[in-house]
Amino acid sequence: MTSLTLCHAEPRRLGPLGTASALLLPIAVVNAIGFLWPVVNLLKMSFREAQASGALGAGYNLDTWTNALTDSFTLELITNSVGVSLLITVLTLIASYPIALYLHRSTGTWRTVLMVLVVAPLLTSAVVRTYGWIAILSDRGLVANALMALGMAEPPRLMFNLTGVVIGLTEILMPYMILALLSGFGRLDPRLEEAALTLGASPLKTFWRVVLPLTAPGMALGGLLCFVLAISSFVTPKLLGGGRVFLLATEIYDQAIVTLNWPLAAALSMIVLVVFGISLTLYARALRRIA
Amino acid sequence: MNAAHKFGTLCLLAAGLMAGPAAAETNLTVMAYSGLFQERYTKAVLEPFMKAHPDIKVTFFPLPSSAAMLGNLRAQKAAPQADVVIMDVSVSKAGTDEGLFTKIDETNIPNVKDLYPNARIPSVAGVGVTFDNLVLLYNAEQVKEAPKSWMEMAKAPYKGKVVIPGVPDIQGLGLVLILNKANGGTDYLANVDKGLAAVAEIAPNVQTWEPKPEVYAPIITGQAALGVGYNARAQVNSEQSGGKIKATIPQEGTIFQINTINLVAGAPAAEAAKTFVNYALSPEAQKSFTETMFYAPTNSKAEITGAALDRTAVKNLDKVMAVDWIALAQVRDKIAEQWRRRVLPASR
Repeated sequence: MTSLTLCHAEPRRLGPLGTASALLLPIAVVNAIGFLWPVVNLLKMSFREAQASGALGAGYNLDTWTNALTDSFTLELITNSVGVSLLITVLTLIASYPIALYLHRSTGTWRTVLMVLVVAPLLTSAVVRTYGWIAILSDRGLVANALMALGMAEPPRLMFNLTGVVIGLTEILMPYMILALLSGFGRLDPRLEEAALTLGASPLKTFWRVVLPLTAPGMALGGLLCFVLAISSFVTPKLLGGGRVFLLATEIYDQAIVTLNWPLAAALSMIVLVVFGISLTLYARALRRIA
Repeated sequence: MNAAHKFGTLCLLAAGLMAGPAAAETNLTVMAYSGLFQERYTKAVLEPFMKAHPDIKVTFFPLPSSAAMLGNLRAQKAAPQADVVIMDVSVSKAGTDEGLFTKIDETNIPNVKDLYPNARIPSVAGVGVTFDNLVLLYNAEQVKEAPKSWMEMAKAPYKGKVVIPGVPDIQGLGLVLILNKANGGTDYLANVDKGLAAVAEIAPNVQTWEPKPEVYAPIITGQAALGVGYNARAQVNSEQSGGKIKATIPQEGTIFQINTINLVAGAPAAEAAKTFVNYALSPEAQKSFTETMFYAPTNSKAEITGAALDRTAVKNLDKVMAVDWIALAQVRDKIAEQWRRRVLPASR
């Protein structure tokens, strides 16, 4: 429709709405082909008949969904994934906030150097960084050796369990959180802090009453981004989880690649999508409350 | 990678089509495992085949797993790009049920008559092309003498030093089956309680159930001392690491993993594919690949000589427990669930 208008009418006569639609059209098409269409196919796949051999039957039925929704393991997967991702998001926020605040206040070359340091980890893939953590966290790795040098007889197991997954993902997601926080720090005017201090607020109170509320939108954005990335990440949990951590993403892999149950893998993927939808809604609500 | 490979294959096919009758060359695409398998199979089977059949040009289409191959075949069902596929027997069964393959038997592939009986699976369109077996892996520096039993992994000195690819992986599943039988279990399709109980004894010592990229690397580096893996890859890794990793078949025995060779239904080079499959199953090709990568041959006429004889299960056939992988697929989910409830809690 819009493209038709575009062809026949003077471009100038396009209203603001028309221009907006025309500009949105390309990305809408890309999204429809690259995202919507595959998701529709995935939804279709989840209703395909799954045979025990791993073969896909020609027919469609509700078996996969009935089994998935009545199996307590699915619930365990959802609670595990949401719980672990929330924990990682909170830890990432705590670890990233001071860095982002410092970066926001630094200026000149120093700021550029720090920015490069923050963004640099994104240049290497998560796989490489995960292997880095394996070297650091292994039984004979840096941390274990340091703990033993400090006199600990048997250092705790730091990877091939949940601890490893949380440590690895927190570090891997920090750059995203820092960038999201920085983008939200624009409203943080140093004069407001000065005003608060002049009026007699303690630094802690200034932070609590002025800085924190002003940076809340950035925190919400970073939280959403990290939560979504954490719940959908699969390489790090696979490498650092040691087969002991059961999450939606790793189970989708197992069902698709090892057990060949594509309909179940598709159904679990749709569940992840629903979780995404819920977290987006919560984010929108949180933003409204902050505003 | 995949897209690039597909594109490469397409280009080769296109080039072949353009060359057409003038060159009188047929392009044959063989889809099989990437990595070591590709390297050794090309050397031991594809190159001699092309020498004997100058009119057939073989392209190797490497993929990391049987499941990835099945995914490709499903996507190409309308217009297949591959002619021959080598994949695990249970995945081959899924492909057979979906009508992706043409049935192989004596009538279209003469060499099938010489195959061992367990290389011919009635409900699968393809036939066995390699037998691999489960082995107990050990780091030669930390474990001086070849362990006699799988239960060596449960012993105190190996706390945190054991690596096993866990269920649903076939290697973990195989270990459950072997120990189930060793402890008096009779019908693994009914239950594997005894096997799970035995693996639960090993579980507290396990460092990871998910060794990546494969189980061999941590044992070579000494990160782990004992593990469960496949013989062929263990032997090649042993060779390449100067003997740092070694493999043995313990007294409780072992199981076979079967790779099948399959004819893709509606393949572009169907005739050349049959010629190739017949060659791949011949005593000559079977001998060559066994001596190069230590898979046991599926052709009973293949006479294996030298070091390879001691490094495959050929001399230990009495130690191999028969497993019906097709029937097992029906109960795999159930075993996986029990694995999560009974084995994993013991290894936290």
